[in-house]
Amino acid sequence: MRLCGCKVWVCAWAAMALLAACYSNNCPLENTVTCNYAFFDSEGNAISYGDTITVTTLKPGYKTVYIYRKLGNLTVTKEERSEALIEQGYTETTMQQRRDTVLINQQYGASSIKVPMSYFNEEDTLVFAYKSISMRDTIKIRHSSFPHVELPECGTYRFHSLRGITATDAAIDHIEISNPTVNYDGGTNVKIYFNGVAE
Amino acid sequence: MRVMKILLARHIILALFLWAGTIVALAQNEPQQQPLMPGEKPKPTKYVAIEEQKQHLVFFQGFTLSVDAYGPVAYMVSDYGTFEAALRLNLKNTFFPIVEMGYGKCTKDDFNTKVTYKVNAPFMRVGIDFNMLKNKFQSNRLYLGARYGISTFKYDVAGPAMTDPIWGGSEAFNLKGINCTSHWAEVIFGVEVKIFKNFHMGWAVRYKREISSTKSDYSKPNCIPGYGYTTNSTCWGGTYSLIFDLNWGMKKSHKRGVNIELRDIPQAEENTNNQQEENGEGQQNGEEGHEEGEE
Repeated sequence: MRLCGCKVWVCAWAAMALLAACYSNNCPLENTVTCNYAFFDSEGNAISYGDTITVTTLKPGYKTVYIYRKLGNLTVTKEERSEALIEQGYTETTMQQRRDTVLINQQYGASSIKVPMSYFNEEDTLVFAYKSISMRDTIKIRHSSFPHVELPECGTYRFHSLRGITATDAAIDHIEISNPTVNYDGGTNVKIYFNGVAE
Repeated sequence: MRVMKILLARHIILALFLWAGTIVALAQNEPQQQPLMPGEKPKPTKYVAIEEQKQHLVFFQGFTLSVDAYGPVAYMVSDYGTFEAALRLNLKNTFFPIVEMGYGKCTKDDFNTKVTYKVNAPFMRVGIDFNMLKNKFQSNRLYLGARYGISTFKYDVAGPAMTDPIWGGSEAFNLKGINCTSHWAEVIFGVEVKIFKNFHMGWAVRYKREISSTKSDYSKPNCIPGYGYTTNSTCWGGTYSLIFDLNWGMKKSHKRGVNIELRDIPQAEENTNNQQEENGEGQQNGEEGHEEGEE
């Protein structure tokens, strides 16, 4: 067979070699879906907030907690009843408590935080507590959630689309949505402008 | 692991097809020298100059209809397969504008994540092949080609229940009829061999690159009919074609292929032949020069 050139065969065998290459996939390496909050001063300069922040989310309903006390020992609080502590001489009392959960616990000097969002609620409520001031800020975020499948082998994620946001003004000057799509890309979704100007 | 095994098996099968096709193509083109009996002279072969033969290659050489045999087999042994046919135009045995149409099916059920993906839709490709063999008169071909592919389809994605780890709640999802239009390009390398009369067989290796697909919030298409898996931005594919020549609108004298024999011709007979050619050039141009090469 007369060919225009032997390069053709080299190309053909190179193609065959490539066919036997390894299998790979494009699953995202950074695959945690969180709403990213970036901190700014009231004039829009990026800052590291010089206070300790604790973020709690309000969850609907109440739960029963079991409190165990014994003279000379620390008080123990459990969400399930403990027979072992009663046998050790602890006295048990029960009380109803809110189901709130701490999402960020005493973070100091943060310039941004990553907070998860609810899968099936239309509105999340976050409470920002500060160490240096006794007042707290409440942020309410309205959003819709939907499943996302990048590839079947990568599993399922829950993405969110932000619809609106409000905040109180204890330490926050104002708040805005910068990117309404919450996914695993890691970009800033919400900008929080705190009172005061960075020096 | 299962996916790896399937892919490995697919690659081995395709490699065997490639190897087998190459051997057949080479074997078909080796000159067959018959041994001479004692005292027998070699038969004179009519000499036709290549330049003269080129003039006999008319522009329109007919249509070919081909059916892919690899796609259905791939569907039986894996999650994805196609059923496709192509209509091709033969221009001077060199350029082959082609339209490929087919139906792609993909049903993927991931063992680990329990996510299922399903799509059944038609697709179309248009493009051109170029015959790279120097001898354009023979029926065998080695070609390079390019395609543009498009498919408009709807796909379904379903998954297991998702549980909210903080706020609680659980819900499965079943997304049906997500609209998508995909465009892609292909580069093709292939071989085609004449089996008998108007029937040919050939394989082709296709290197594909996705150009664009409609984006959806819920998912991106895992498998595009006619293209394949979108796991990476490029993918490989292949076809094993059963090809039938259709002589629609082609004059009998324009049957493709003229045998070129450049053997030594005895001097005396060559002179005689030359004289005969000069005398009856008009007649020979019409019939003899266009005989089928392998016949």
